[in-house]
Amino acid sequence: MAPETERILSDFIDAWNAGRRPDVEEHLVRAPAEQRAELAGQLLAFLSFAPTPAYGDADLAAIRAEPVVAGALRAAGARGGLLPALLARLRERRSLTTAALASELVGALGLARDRAPKTASYLDRLERGELEPARISRRVLEALARLLGVPLAELEGAGEPSGWGPRPAPVFRAERDAADAVGRHLELLGDALAAPGGEGRDEVDDLFLGGR
Amino acid sequence: MAAAPDDVLLWRYADARDGGELELAAQLWEQLAVNNFDRVQQIVKAFRFSPGGPGLPEHEWGSAASEAYLRVVAMGAGFREREVGRFYAALVTCVQNACRDFGRRELRHERRVAGSVDATFEPGAEAGPYDAALAAYDAELRERAGDAVRAERGRLAAEQLVAWAIAQVANESYREVLELTWIEKLTGEQIAARLGISHDNVYARRSRGLKQLERILRGTRD
Repeated sequence: MAPETERILSDFIDAWNAGRRPDVEEHLVRAPAEQRAELAGQLLAFLSFAPTPAYGDADLAAIRAEPVVAGALRAAGARGGLLPALLARLRERRSLTTAALASELVGALGLARDRAPKTASYLDRLERGELEPARISRRVLEALARLLGVPLAELEGAGEPSGWGPRPAPVFRAERDAADAVGRHLELLGDALAAPGGEGRDEVDDLFLGGR
Repeated sequence: MAAAPDDVLLWRYADARDGGELELAAQLWEQLAVNNFDRVQQIVKAFRFSPGGPGLPEHEWGSAASEAYLRVVAMGAGFREREVGRFYAALVTCVQNACRDFGRRELRHERRVAGSVDATFEPGAEAGPYDAALAAYDAELRERAGDAVRAERGRLAAEQLVAWAIAQVANESYREVLELTWIEKLTGEQIAARLGISHDNVYARRSRGLKQLERILRGTRD
C-alpha cells in the first residue's frame, strides 16, 4: 500500500480512537481508486476489533437519535420484540409480498395451498406486532429462517421479548383447602383446553398460536 | 460523562442475565448496541468497497446497515459470552451475514477470490471469520490452571482476544505499534514521538501490523 494510503488508514484509526466518529467513505475517496479495495479491507480489519471509543454524552445522544438506532431500540421494546420489524425487512429485501411469502411458507410447511390466505393473515398480524412470538411454533420459525436465508437463532432471538422482560410470578400460593375450592374449576379448564378447537380452528392456527 | 466501556458493559450484562435480572440485562445490551452503532455502520461501508464486498449495491448500503443493526440488537437474547473480543467477533459475523445476504447474487461471482472477506460466509453457514483464532485462544486458556484463568480475567484489557492476537505478531516493531494503538490508544503522532520514528514509519508499521493481525485472527497465519 502506498505511503499516502497508509497515512489515510492511520488518520482513520486516530479519529476513531479519539471518538470523532470518522466516516469510511470520506477516507476511501482520499485514496487512489486502485488502492481503495485494499484500504477498505484494512479498515474492515481494524473496525472488526477496534476498541470502542469513550463516547461522551453528546455523542451517545447523537447516536441514539440516529433513525436506525431509534427505530431498532423502539422495536426492541415493542410488543412482539424485534421480530415484526426484522421479518418485514427480510421479506421486503427479497421483494416478497406477504401473500407471496405465505405461499412459500405453506409449501415449506407441507400445508394445503388453500391455507395460504390464512397464513398471510397471520404473517401480516405478526409484522404488525399483533401476535405473541412465543406462541409461534418452531416449525414456522424454522421454515421462515430457511425461506428468508437467516440463521434460526436470529429469528428466535428477535422474537424473545419474554426472554428479556420480567418472568411471570406465581399469582397465588395454595392454601390448605385450595384443592376443594378450585378443583372443579381446574377440571373444567382442563377439559376446555383439551377439547378440539371450533370449526374454524385448523393447523395454521396451531402453528401460529400453539406455541413451541 | 463517558460511556461505560464495552468490556464492563458485557460483564455486567452477563452477570445480570445469569442472575435473572433480565430487564437490567436488556438495558445493558441496549447500551452495548448504542456503543457499537458506528462500528456496524462503518463495517457495512467498508464491506461494500473491500475485496469480497462489491456485491452490496450502492443504493442498498443504508438498508443493509439498518438490517445489520436490527440483527445485532436481536443477538442479545441469545448471546452467552463474557469477553468483548468474542462480542466483536459475533457482531462482525452478524453484520457480514447481513451484507452477504444483500449482495448474495453478485457475490457468487466473487466467492473464489482469495482473501475475500465473505469467504467463510456461505449461505446457512454458522462459521465466522474468526472461529479459528477463537478456538486457538480457547485452547491456550484451557492449558492454564483454573485459578490462573480466574485471576487473569480481572485484567480484561490485557487478556482480550485482540491483545492475545497482537502478542502473536512476529515482527517486533509492528507488534509495538499495534500495542500502542490498541492498548494505549496513542495517536500516530504520539507513537512517533514515543518511539522516536517518523510519522511515515508509524503509518507503515500500523498498516503492515494490521495485515498480520488480521491473518492471525482469521487463523491463516503463514
